[in-house]
Amino acid sequence: MTRPYLSIEGISRLYGTRPVFRDLWFGVERGEFCCLIGHSGCGKTTILNILAGLEAPDGGALVMDGHEIAGPSLDRAVIFQSHALYPWLTALENVAFALRSRHPAWSRAQILARAHQALELVGLKDAAHQKPSELSGGMKQRVGIARALSLEPAMLLMDEPFSALDALTRGALQDEVVGLVGGGRQTAFMITHDVDEAILLADRILLMTNGPDARLAEIVVNTLPRPRDRASLHRQPGYYPLRNHIVDFLVTRSRVLAETRPADWTGRNVPEISPATPHADNKSLESLAP
Amino acid sequence: MSSFSRSRMAAPFLSVVLLTLLLIAWQLAVRDSAPTAGLDPEYAKLMGVAATTGKSAIPTPIDVGRKLMAAVADPFYDKGPNDKGVGTQLAFSLARVLLGFGLAAIVAIPMGFLIGMSPLAGATLNPFIQVLKPVSPLAWMPLALYTIKDSAQSAIFVIFICSVWPMLVNTAFGVAGVRREWLNVARTLEVGAWRRAVHVILPAAAPTIFTGMRISIGIAWLVIVAAEMLVGGTGIGYFVWNQWNNLSLADILMGILLIGLVGMALDRLLALAASGVTWRE
Amino acid sequence: MTLRCSPFDPIASHAAGCTCGTQGVSASTATGEQRMGEIVRTAVLRAAFPQARSRRALLKTLGAATTAAALADVFPLGMAEALAQDAPKGIEHPNLKIGFIPITCAAPIIMAQPMGFYAKYGLNAEVIKTAGWAIIRDKSLNKEYDASHMLSPMPIAISMGLGAVRQDWQIPAIENINGQAIVLALKHKDRRDPKTWKGLRFGIPFDFSMHNYLLRYYLAEAGIDPDTDVQLRVIPPPEMVANLRADNIDGFLGPDPVNQRAVFDGIGFIHILSRDLWDGHPCCSFSISKEFVTANPNTFLALSRAIIDATGFANKTENRKEIANAIAPANYLNQPPVVVEQAMTGIFADGLGNIVRQPLRAGYDPFPWESFGVWIMTQMKRWGQVKGDLDYAGVASSVLRATDARKEMTALGLTAPATNTKTFVVMGKTFDPSKPEEYLASFPIKRS
Repeated sequence: MTRPYLSIEGISRLYGTRPVFRDLWFGVERGEFCCLIGHSGCGKTTILNILAGLEAPDGGALVMDGHEIAGPSLDRAVIFQSHALYPWLTALENVAFALRSRHPAWSRAQILARAHQALELVGLKDAAHQKPSELSGGMKQRVGIARALSLEPAMLLMDEPFSALDALTRGALQDEVVGLVGGGRQTAFMITHDVDEAILLADRILLMTNGPDARLAEIVVNTLPRPRDRASLHRQPGYYPLRNHIVDFLVTRSRVLAETRPADWTGRNVPEISPATPHADNKSLESLAP
Repeated sequence: MSSFSRSRMAAPFLSVVLLTLLLIAWQLAVRDSAPTAGLDPEYAKLMGVAATTGKSAIPTPIDVGRKLMAAVADPFYDKGPNDKGVGTQLAFSLARVLLGFGLAAIVAIPMGFLIGMSPLAGATLNPFIQVLKPVSPLAWMPLALYTIKDSAQSAIFVIFICSVWPMLVNTAFGVAGVRREWLNVARTLEVGAWRRAVHVILPAAAPTIFTGMRISIGIAWLVIVAAEMLVGGTGIGYFVWNQWNNLSLADILMGILLIGLVGMALDRLLALAASGVTWRE
Repeated sequence: MTLRCSPFDPIASHAAGCTCGTQGVSASTATGEQRMGEIVRTAVLRAAFPQARSRRALLKTLGAATTAAALADVFPLGMAEALAQDAPKGIEHPNLKIGFIPITCAAPIIMAQPMGFYAKYGLNAEVIKTAGWAIIRDKSLNKEYDASHMLSPMPIAISMGLGAVRQDWQIPAIENINGQAIVLALKHKDRRDPKTWKGLRFGIPFDFSMHNYLLRYYLAEAGIDPDTDVQLRVIPPPEMVANLRADNIDGFLGPDPVNQRAVFDGIGFIHILSRDLWDGHPCCSFSISKEFVTANPNTFLALSRAIIDATGFANKTENRKEIANAIAPANYLNQPPVVVEQAMTGIFADGLGNIVRQPLRAGYDPFPWESFGVWIMTQMKRWGQVKGDLDYAGVASSVLRATDARKEMTALGLTAPATNTKTFVVMGKTFDPSKPEEYLASFPIKRS
């Protein structure tokens, strides 16, 4: 069996003796954009922290590009939910701080030039010398994105990056992420609870049941064609079956499935379905119904 | 004109009005009463004005003002080891305070860093800190004199020991309270321990550390006056003690005024320094 | 220039880091005699112009040589230098620090500075005002002071290891006799009989003080037990008047000018002078450690001569007014001259409207009678400060240096007693220093 680029192999997290989730298996291919959706309490943020190397799992292993993940790395850049900028540094300095870690040998001028470039990419050319407290929430998150992308990471990890923003700002930023990250150039993993966001950005969407003892219930393949944009996405054929499937999962099945776990359940055989494809084999779907 | 800027101008004005009213009330309360009649003039010559005229022992604000003018006119006179101008005395006190406070900062800030980074060290040292923190400078002094065997060093030690705690506690508190996500950012960036301490923890904790320093310098200035009253020799505390010796309340009040003004200046200076490192989110 | 910092140097800034008095004479090629002359000229100039600024101004306009010459007209500089060169040769430690409490008991120690007695014997002494007896004890034991003004029981207590780490201390000269008083708050002016003093609160300057022993003695003679019938509180002399005014105490047995200051400010009155309890009692002493004496014999000799000379000068009543004015300024006692004068001349207001003329109110007799030490030890034992058998005569003779003082007094032309011990009368009872235990046994009120 060939391993995916990032391979999550049977990880679990315990709270005391009770599992928050256990026996979690999935993979992310190179250039793929993966979204994980689930309700609060299923351990989403913990999973992202484990991928980032900020936390260690209580069991199982992670392998990326053939190497086991044993701690944080510059190769896995994180965009935090709360932007996590250093408030005593300007936008430019925040990006430069990250760049200095990536390129210890670079001159000051090189670092600054690259930081300016990164800010320009997210449309913050004029706000480079402002402190985070002088920026709006959306601008702060753009700095966070610029900081992460400037590292040119092998993998981008995002923890509900837009959840604290208002709807308009969120939409604008989502479009930008599509432009910057979409299209197979950047391997990315993102936590979200926004269904439309997941459909817009993801190649595959991982659905988690409710916690505790949450599990990965199914993997939804997003077959909607790229490039996508928010304005026309909902007119794509297959959009509604896809969306309805996910919404149904979140409203009812995530709860029902959490209560019943088949005796022969194993984390390694998670069903993969494509609701947006008309000829999809929906038998497996029915077999999952209670 | 907005109400905000109006109140900004009104406050100093009201302060001046309040001060004037207080000074007038003070002047009226302690003005001279009628001289006591029928005193043998020969005897009266041997007595002070308080005994012969019934003049209040409390000086008037004008008396204090005169003393202040005289002191400001010649602040650095030197009439021997036990009688120097208030400027010289303040300089002695300031030098002691800055030395004791500086030593305290050198010890407290790195120590506070360690305590803040290690919950174990914090829990281990906390009982000692809590017991030693409230001890009065006057209680330390005899111990210091006995063990250090030098009154000048003892005074500096007492300032040190009294001003070390707020800086230590605040530094530890500030360091322990650095946002988890800021540390996580540093971790994902693979930032080394030294760079993390200097570029992440220090600026994050700086406002709290400076608050501790402001509390400490205030305490140090309180302590120096008490310490100098005890060991004597030089300093503004000695000046107040020496005037107490002479029951000269006008000089004592002037001393109190100067102590207050210098204390305020020290606090303002640190506040100014603190505003340079304070960040807003 | 042999001194690191001389007042004859018009450029030297005295405010900024002058090290006079804190540093020894710098190593130089100058001979001892040149150095001595320099010290004397320095000290004389200091005494004539105590203000550094006027001194510098003078030097700037006239030049050092002219100033010295001009000064020689009014002050026999040559004589002082000659005298100094007669003084002990090879002074090891000419720059001295001497601690004092600002009271008239210390008059000889203090005035010896502005009036040139230290300079006369080749010493450059700085007298340092100190806040209280415990501090003066600690600074002396810590060698911050080379010698000190102490209450006469203190060197005895220190030598016996009472209330301090034991060190051998000596009294080369008693500072003053008499000069203390019991002062009561004005509200007690009709309560003159000590039998009626139950429940009152009194201030004393220190546990090991003549004031403590005399007040206890006086109270006990009136049938008042000083430990159970009244409260005795230790209050540093400078703080006694403030405490009396604040009604923290009803009276005190204190030193001057504190007593007279209470009268001056209309707070209290003089109930009785200490000379009316025991005429000729010692009060304060000039004290020095045996270690210093052994290490610096010539310095000690010069110092004890300077002190005995000054004490003898102070004992002459005609000099009192001059001394009072020399020690009243802020640098020394920091008291109105009229208060110090009354305390020292014995012509004083008593606080009740009378002018009292008692020229023996204060006296300055340097002779350190060994009997004083024996009496002090009987009182230490009487009030439980020390227990068990005491070597009265041994301790007294090792602390109070009567034999040495006699030699110095004779050399200076003062009349010295022929013996080291004497009997004296305290409140009507004769004290025989050869029978201390019998004396102790005769008191009905005692702790031992």
